[in-house]
Amino acid sequence: MSGKVCSNNSVMQARRTVEQLQVEASMERIKISTAAAQLVQYCQENSRSDPLLTGISASSNPFKDKKTCVLL
Amino acid sequence: MSIQDVSPCVKCYIMEVQPNETLTNLKAESDTLKTKLEDERAKLHDVELHQVAEKVDGLGQFIMKTRRTLKGHGNKVLCMDWCKDKRRIVSSSQVSVWIIVTFSEEHAVTMPCTWVMACAYAPSGCAVACGGLDNKCSVYPLSLDKNENLAAKKKSVAMHTNYLSACSFTNSDMQILTSSGDGTCALWDVESGQLLQSFHGHAADVLCLDLAPSETGNTFVSGGCDKKANVWDMRSGQCIQSFETHESDINSVRYYPSGDAFASGSDDATCRLYDLRADREVAIYSKESIIFGASSVDFSLSGRLLFGGYNDYTINVWDVLKGTRVSILFGHENRVSTLRLSPDGTAFCSGSWDHTLRVRWAALIGIHIFGTRGTVV
Repeated sequence: MSGKVCSNNSVMQARRTVEQLQVEASMERIKISTAAAQLVQYCQENSRSDPLLTGISASSNPFKDKKTCVLL
Repeated sequence: MSIQDVSPCVKCYIMEVQPNETLTNLKAESDTLKTKLEDERAKLHDVELHQVAEKVDGLGQFIMKTRRTLKGHGNKVLCMDWCKDKRRIVSSSQVSVWIIVTFSEEHAVTMPCTWVMACAYAPSGCAVACGGLDNKCSVYPLSLDKNENLAAKKKSVAMHTNYLSACSFTNSDMQILTSSGDGTCALWDVESGQLLQSFHGHAADVLCLDLAPSETGNTFVSGGCDKKANVWDMRSGQCIQSFETHESDINSVRYYPSGDAFASGSDDATCRLYDLRADREVAIYSKESIIFGASSVDFSLSGRLLFGGYNDYTINVWDVLKGTRVSILFGHENRVSTLRLSPDGTAFCSGSWDHTLRVRWAALIGIHIFGTRGTVV
């Protein structure tokens, strides 16, 4: 009896693997040339607003201590 | 009603061995499908990313010094996360969780927990989540009152059957996604602690996860000791894509800012880039001289730079498009365990087994001309 349960579990697992692979295999894919072109395009469109690429000036240092104003 | 609608335990009973569904036949079928998958992916492999990127201007020299070193932990730093206000971070270590209020003061609120391998800031900035060897993920609401005992307000949300390796709030304070040494990921309702969805598919410990940028829908990616990176549909619990090209544990995964790709860092000493629409690995970031595992990866805002923290104490900065290393950042005196870009992309913070966190940003002086072909910025 336990042997049958064991083999049922293996069959179940194998069936799940097949089902999972069927899901993955059915996916629509695009060519790497297209995908890569889009990755490049995204980088270039956003490069000017990437602070680690353009650097930030001392005056806009985000971690500089802010001085408070006291109104007399 | 199909077999899909039936619960797993009932499936066990009603399943009879059909003539075409013996174990051997199923294994043969899965082998055929695997080969088919590889063939389909190979057909679309018409070019390499770095070839497409040949026309792109190279990056100049990088100067990114440590601007702040935070030393309060006194223990190996295991994880850190930024608050959306960009000025606070939460970090965790072997014995505590620590919230830094501002960078000008090293203000720490210590909450004793066991080995805290994961921590995350809530989107509102009003709570943090953390967990580790306690197998749980707990949420602590934050208070401005320094004297308040935050540990008393702790709320246990997630319960796994092995260590918590990573956690992340979704786009609200209401839900948390977790990954665990028990091989699963799970989505939880914070208020009730209810399990909303579980994600099964990894064959070993899951070490990391990252949520897709909100514009690209309800998916997330996870990486594990089974060397696989899986992409999941959060609503159905279904694994929709799986990548198995790493040669060892995947310690870190991070989405490319557009959501169309993700990077991974592994004990095999490489970082890799996977494009989701091509369903394939499209770049490997490695060097013969780099032999220690990558523990943590993150992109710069434009996706052009990939920062990798390594077990050889360094941070390697990679040109994502060209596949070359742009810079090595020194400073840590032990393994780099965690690394994250600030929410506005101006800085990044790394945490290490040397008990410190270091914050770096790029100074304007001395570097950088970057622009499209023919123009100078």
